[in-house]
Amino acid sequence: MVALDPDYFRALETPRMAALAPNLIAAAFPLMKLMPARYILDRAVAEGALEAGMRIVETTSGTFGMALALLSAARGYRLTLVSASSLVDAKYQARLDGLGAQMIVTEDQAGNGDQLERLQRLDHIRREDPNCFWPRQYDNSGNALAYARLAEQLVRTLGEIDCLVGCVGSGGSLCGTGTFLRTVFPHLIVIAVDTHRSILFGQPAGKRLLRGLGNSILPGNLRHDLIDEVHWVGAYPAFSEARRLLREHGIFQGPTSAAAALVGRWAASTRPGARVAVIMPDEGHRYAETVFDDTWLGSLPGWPCSPPSEPRELTIIEPGSEADWMRFKWARRSLDQIVHGEFKNEGRSH
Amino acid sequence: MDAVTRLTPNGESLPKIGAGAAIGHHGELLQGVFEGPAGRLHRGLVTLPLASSRAKATFTCTARRVLTVRPHDKIKAGLAARKTLDHLGVVEGGVLNIESNIPVGHGYGSSTADVVAAVRAVAAAHTARLQPSRISRLAVAAEQASDAIAFDEHAVLFAQREGVVLEDFGGSLPPLLLVGFKPTGGLPIDTLHLPPARYKSAEIQQFRVLRALIAHAVRYQDPKNLGRAATASALLNQRHLPKPHLERVIEIAEGAGACGVQVAHSGSLLGIIFDPAGTNFRQRAESVAASVQRGGFCDVEFHQINDDGARW
Repeated sequence: MVALDPDYFRALETPRMAALAPNLIAAAFPLMKLMPARYILDRAVAEGALEAGMRIVETTSGTFGMALALLSAARGYRLTLVSASSLVDAKYQARLDGLGAQMIVTEDQAGNGDQLERLQRLDHIRREDPNCFWPRQYDNSGNALAYARLAEQLVRTLGEIDCLVGCVGSGGSLCGTGTFLRTVFPHLIVIAVDTHRSILFGQPAGKRLLRGLGNSILPGNLRHDLIDEVHWVGAYPAFSEARRLLREHGIFQGPTSAAAALVGRWAASTRPGARVAVIMPDEGHRYAETVFDDTWLGSLPGWPCSPPSEPRELTIIEPGSEADWMRFKWARRSLDQIVHGEFKNEGRSH
Repeated sequence: MDAVTRLTPNGESLPKIGAGAAIGHHGELLQGVFEGPAGRLHRGLVTLPLASSRAKATFTCTARRVLTVRPHDKIKAGLAARKTLDHLGVVEGGVLNIESNIPVGHGYGSSTADVVAAVRAVAAAHTARLQPSRISRLAVAAEQASDAIAFDEHAVLFAQREGVVLEDFGGSLPPLLLVGFKPTGGLPIDTLHLPPARYKSAEIQQFRVLRALIAHAVRYQDPKNLGRAATASALLNQRHLPKPHLERVIEIAEGAGACGVQVAHSGSLLGIIFDPAGTNFRQRAESVAASVQRGGFCDVEFHQINDDGARW
């Protein structure tokens, strides 16, 4: 069992608050997913769903897996993670190995993460070993609830908050933080950041260059009716922004964080006087040999390119549209209202 | 609060007498469940102190072990005096007199004010000066649940059933004007007979944000965030001890540009919080007072809290 001080975990799940502009604060995390992972495990223990010696299983290739690996090592649980071959790198795997986590890799035929394939594999594992606990980060309400801690930290730093910007993966960080903040700041604008070929906001699924963003399943934690605006950010603007953050602010975060920062910067500049907070979930270490490596970037077709300074404004969802950066006024509507509502309206007009 | 040793003309010492006082409050700005320093959850509250209401106690030492309390029904204060004597290692008793202008049973903290005044008076009679944390623990020992008035106007998040501070906000609340009132026919409430509120996970998580709002409000002396936290806490409390017409009171407060609405979470009091630095706050407060009176509330009063010398 790894001997870890609880304060060490708290430090990892506590963001560094960086002022990117006078009215823009970034909450930059070393390992943000430790927050929901710890909350979900604590709640499972309290409810009797997780007991000593049990095996934790989850489909994840990112920071939630690393958080589970740290907690499992510290608390003595066995851990099995299921990921897709396209999403696992050797250094990440080595860290998980060092923490005693077992990684099962599924073949990624389409190159988009194959979440359904991974879920099927997970189901198979659970049938073979009933002594398992599955945190279900995409559908566990504890994921969103855990982010009250982030809302607390933002309020302690900023007081009143007018605009919250964050990426959507499991839906936990943006929807959890946004819900808790909007209870006391009803005017809060919540801006969701996603990427192309993600189904979360009505785009068709497909292969994505920007790892860490984009989904081919719809998480239960995503509350569309909380969202005021959606921005789809392409890989190149995110890569470019990640390098800018390092160069100009000394902030070493991954491209997911950078996509949020790009949108946050725009939100702050278009809302003078408003206090904007942006959530940066991941550090840059996993991307040292890609996004921060000139040779790797140089091998990409179309790179280097100038990132856009403005998003392209959409008035309706355009499936398959892939401008570098697009914006749509979601206006706190449900996915059904947006996608099917528009088709219904179209039908009526004909 | 010092002990007074009086001498007769013959030089004989008269009984030692100590005096103590404590302020009341107007209920809570925030009450719920909060994480303590070790990560454990505790029931806690932030008191809204009211310096204009006050309990005074005198304690006259006697050579006998008997402890006499006047009036006789101040049982909790008597128990607190006995526990204070035990804490000080004093075997002898005395006579405890309590006087108070704090109404009983509506959430003004009348019994805790009696208890804290009694502890201070007993300590003073024995030339001891107790820390607020010690007074709080003695108060909890005497009445099971207490509040933070041993800290006077210093803002703390206080675990009312343990007598410990969960967070010291590092100063006093900002200056406020409170329009306080009661529902007509509100009956006195014995808080100890109320079952402890059972909060949902989402509520416990929401309390984190409200706690942060209060911390920010104290740090930057910002009544607006204080009012936001108070209103949200009052709404969360509706599931436990609902205040009639709270939604209407919130509407009145919002209409008048007030900072928020505050309630005694285990009493009947309600209050509307104004920023005394706000434009036309006097007219707005008077208008709110008239509105709540028309709305069927009674005992409408104005309270200056941490008024900083400003005249109402």
